[in-house]
Order: sequence, then C-alpha cells, then structure tokens
Amino acid sequence: MKKTLIFSLVCILAFSFFLSCRKKVEEAPPPPPQVKEQPKVEKVEKPPVVKEPELTEEEIFMAKSLEEINKEAPLNMIHFDYDKYFIRDDAKPVLEKNANWLNKFKSVKILIEGHCDERGTEEYNLALGEKRSKSTLDYLVSLGISQDRIEIISYGKSQPLDPGHNEIAWQKNRRSNFMIIVK
Amino acid sequence: MKIKIIFFSISLLLLILLLLYPQQEVVLSIKEGMPKIPVAIPKFIIHNSSPKISAAAEELHQILLVDLEYTRVFQPLPKSYYNYIRPINPRKIFFKDWESIQAKILFVGEISANEGENILFEGKIYDVKGGRFIFGKRYQAETTLLRLVAHKMADEIMKIFGEKTIFTSKIVFISNRDGNDELYMMDYDGHNQTRLTFNKVIDYMPAWSAEGKEIAYTSYRKNRASLYILNPYEGKITEILSKGTNFAPAFSPDGKKLAFCSTVDKGNSEIYVATSEGKKIKRLTFNKAIDTAPSWSPTSREIAFTSDRGGTPQIYIMDAEGSNVRRISFGGSYHDAPSWSPAGDRIAYVSRVDQIHDLYVINLRTKQIIKLTESNARNESPCWSPDGRHLVFSSNLTGTIQICTIDYNGANMRRLTSMGENKLPDWSR
Repeated sequence: MKKTLIFSLVCILAFSFFLSCRKKVEEAPPPPPQVKEQPKVEKVEKPPVVKEPELTEEEIFMAKSLEEINKEAPLNMIHFDYDKYFIRDDAKPVLEKNANWLNKFKSVKILIEGHCDERGTEEYNLALGEKRSKSTLDYLVSLGISQDRIEIISYGKSQPLDPGHNEIAWQKNRRSNFMIIVK
Repeated sequence: MKIKIIFFSISLLLLILLLLYPQQEVVLSIKEGMPKIPVAIPKFIIHNSSPKISAAAEELHQILLVDLEYTRVFQPLPKSYYNYIRPINPRKIFFKDWESIQAKILFVGEISANEGENILFEGKIYDVKGGRFIFGKRYQAETTLLRLVAHKMADEIMKIFGEKTIFTSKIVFISNRDGNDELYMMDYDGHNQTRLTFNKVIDYMPAWSAEGKEIAYTSYRKNRASLYILNPYEGKITEILSKGTNFAPAFSPDGKKLAFCSTVDKGNSEIYVATSEGKKIKRLTFNKAIDTAPSWSPTSREIAFTSDRGGTPQIYIMDAEGSNVRRISFGGSYHDAPSWSPAGDRIAYVSRVDQIHDLYVINLRTKQIIKLTESNARNESPCWSPDGRHLVFSSNLTGTIQICTIDYNGANMRRLTSMGENKLPDWSR
C-alpha cells in the first residue's frame, strides 16, 4: 500500500511538475516581429513631362511686334560732332555691333533717322540730318549690309532726345537712330 | 530819217542786251525816310445808338487805330489833340479845324444797326489840306466779324496810297500746342489762330502759294518726309512728292513754279523746281554740298538759297534755271534761311555767331548789311510781310520758341504766339 501511495505521490508530483513545466513553456512569449525584415520603400518619381522644344533666337524675334522690338532698341544709336556728319571713331564699334545683329536677322529692314541739335537753322539742319543718316548708311554698307535693307530720313532738329539747352543735351541730340521697319 | 533808224536800232540792241544780261532784280524801293502821314481818326459817329452798336464802334475804332499805327506809313494823332477842336460833323466838315491839329488825312467813320445782327460801317477819307473827299467804303457784317471789317478798311486805305495790303494777309506756322507739330494760321497781329492739319505725324516748313489759297509743306508719313499741298479752305491734301526727304517748299510769286529741296540723290539736299502742281520736276543744283532754303525773287526770275559748297553755309543767288550762281553773304561762318523782300532790293537771313542766331538784312544794291535783332537768343526763319515793311520770324527769346514780328529797321518787335512752341512762319503775299 505504502508503495502505491508513494508511487501515486510521485506521479502527482511528476504530473504537477509536468504541468508546471508545461505552463512555463506555454507562457513563453512569441518572438517579436523583426523590423529589419520590412520591404524596401519604392520612391515614385514624377512621370516625364512633355517639353516644348526651345525657340530659336529668330523665332523669339519674329514673335514680337515691331513696336516691341523697337522699344527694346536692339540697334544702338551713334553720335556726331557739332555741324559734322562723318562717322566718329567711337561710333564705329557700335555700327559693327549693329551690322552683326543685322547679319543675324537677315529679313530685317531698317530706317536710319538723322537728327541735329538745336544750334543750327531749320533748313540747314534738315539737310545735315540727312547727311548724317547717309554716312551711317554708307558705313553699314561698307560692313556688308545690303543697301536694299536700309532707308534714311532726316528730322533736322525737330525731334530732340533731350529737351535741354546745354552741351550734354546737344551731344545726345546729334545722332543717328535706328528703327526697324520690316522684320 | 536815216539817223532815226540808226537810233532806233541802237536802242533796240541795247534793250535786247539789257534783257539778256542777268542783273539783280529791283522792282521798287521802300520809301524809307519819308515822314509818316499824320492821320486823324475821330471817334466814329453812331446812328440809332444801342449798347451793342456803341461797343462795336469802339472796337472797330481801336482795331483801325492799331492797324494804321502798324503800317509805319501813317501816324494816328495823339488822343488829346481831338479836345482842341470841335467834334466831327460828317455833314459839314471844318477842314481848318483838322489842319490846325496837323492832320493831313481825316478818316470819318459812321456806324449803324442793320438788318438782324448786322452792322453797317461806312468809312470816308478826306484830304485835309485840299478839303476834299478822296475815298469811301461801306461794309455790312455781323458783329463777330469786326476785326475783319477794320482790317479790310485799313487795307483799302493802304491801297489808296499805293501800298501793298497786309491786314487781311495770313501767317501760316507750325505749332505743337495740341501735342505734335501741326499747321496753323493767324492774322498779321496774332489773332484768329486756327489749326489747319489734324494728324499724329509731324508737319513741317509750310509755305503759301502766290494766291494765298494753298500751302505746300512737309509731312512725315510712312517713314518718309513727303511734300504735300493743302487747300485749307477745301480741306484737301494732295501728295506731290514722296521719295527721299523733301522740304523747304517755295512757290514763285508769279504762281507758276514750286521750288523745294530733296535728298533723293544720295541723301544730299539739292534744289529742284516743279510746276506749282508739283509736276515736271527739274533739278537746279548739282554738287556734293548741301543746297537748301530756296527763296524766289519777286520777279520769279532768280532764287536765293543756302549752300555749304564753300565750306560753310552761305547765301547764294542763282537764275531760276540754276545758272549764274553768285555768293552774296560774307563775313560770317554760318548763314541760312534767306528771304527775298517783296521789293526785290533786299534779302533777310539768319547768321549764327557763337550759337546765337540773329536776323540780318542785306541791301543788294548798296551791299549794306543791317542787323535786325540783337538778342542772346535764336532768331530764325525770317519772312517778309507783303508790303516789305515788316518781317515775321521765330525766336526763343522768352525761353520757348514763339512767332514774332519786327519792322524792317529792327524796331517794334512783338510776340504773336504763346501757346506751346511755334515756329517756321510764312507770310502770305
């Protein structure tokens, strides 16, 4: 009997041990999910946008009105000495630049306006202004610009750039201006 | 008999030679140095008086006084003189009274109301010494036209004394008062300033036709400076030349031709002549120098002009066909804008010395030169009055460019314009 009792006791003990052990196993937490294992994020790029082909310089030029072009004044004016109409040395590089521009835009036709300062008579100044525009034309022609692309006119002293009555104003007013009349 | 024939043929030969030989044109001379004629113009007699008629009488009297004073021929008597004698009685004139206050000419005016708004004005002129009636004239007009009535009367008085009339003449000029340079015209005294062109472009250098009915001028259109003829009374504009820069038009006094400048040949200003309609264009000057500013002699047989063929701008004269060119201005480095006097004996022009522009007059017979203006300014574009006793010109003496007149001897300068800037005057013949 005593043996049975001990056996059962041992059994109970063993069972309880088993239970307790089992309980312990059951209580063990599952392994935490590993962060490192996430999928790589794909960056979504913007789809390529349709791009307008770039305008050429000429196309930009042709899109503008004559008024806009003349407002931008792509051709620089030149100045003259008192009572004179020869092309001064400081005017030559300006005319060369103007000629380059005219070579770039070959369809352009221009009007050269000759102007004078107020210190001269109306009649003589009108003739002098024309001489100034003519010598400007001649210089551009010598730089290879076709004469067919150039017209000339004189305004005498009727269109001063600077309304002043001093040497600074007079210097500004003795000039050849360039107007684009055909693009 | 034989002697007679020889004499006749010699004089005929002389006459032909005289006609062929190109000479300075002298038509008639101004009676210079003659004392002015004292004229009495008592207050006008008013019939059927009303405030309106009285005001009209006063205005007419005033304008006529100013006109006659302006002639340099007549000298209206000082006001105070009229107090010394009996008032005028048009039915019975006591000529001794008028002689006693040294009047040589007596003007008697009578004014009355006429149908509707009109007035009737009668003017009579008497020779005081001879005690006789010389001339009379009646005008009927609206009271808005009093200036014109007075000017017409003054012109009639000038005519009696063999003078050319100026009071109904017109001065055409350029003004920017309305924004850009346009044509205007006005009376000799600056009244009735009237705009003639209405556009957005520059109009420039006007000149009256011989009859005073049309105006040639330059207009900047279509990138050109073309010549146009305007008939201001019909509002009609005709383009006559469009190639190159065309300017400085001048009609010949005989009304047949139009001289002008054009740069059509290689940008150099040359003088051309055409019919007065701008047809049959003929070139007169041929050289590389500037030729500009043509002005006809009163006979239409010669043209004064400016040329820098000698190095500086100077005044020259040529025959109307372009031949026989001779220089007439000396002693300066810049002469321009010649204007030939109506009597043919003088030429007014501009001389520039140290940036100051003054007017001068050269007597073609004596070669004597007188300086008309003496100012630290720019006096330009002289043009004679039809009677040759005055000149109109532009001056910036007041700071802005304005139109002025001056007597042939440099006296009596007066300004006619004040709105905007005004220039390039031309006095109708």
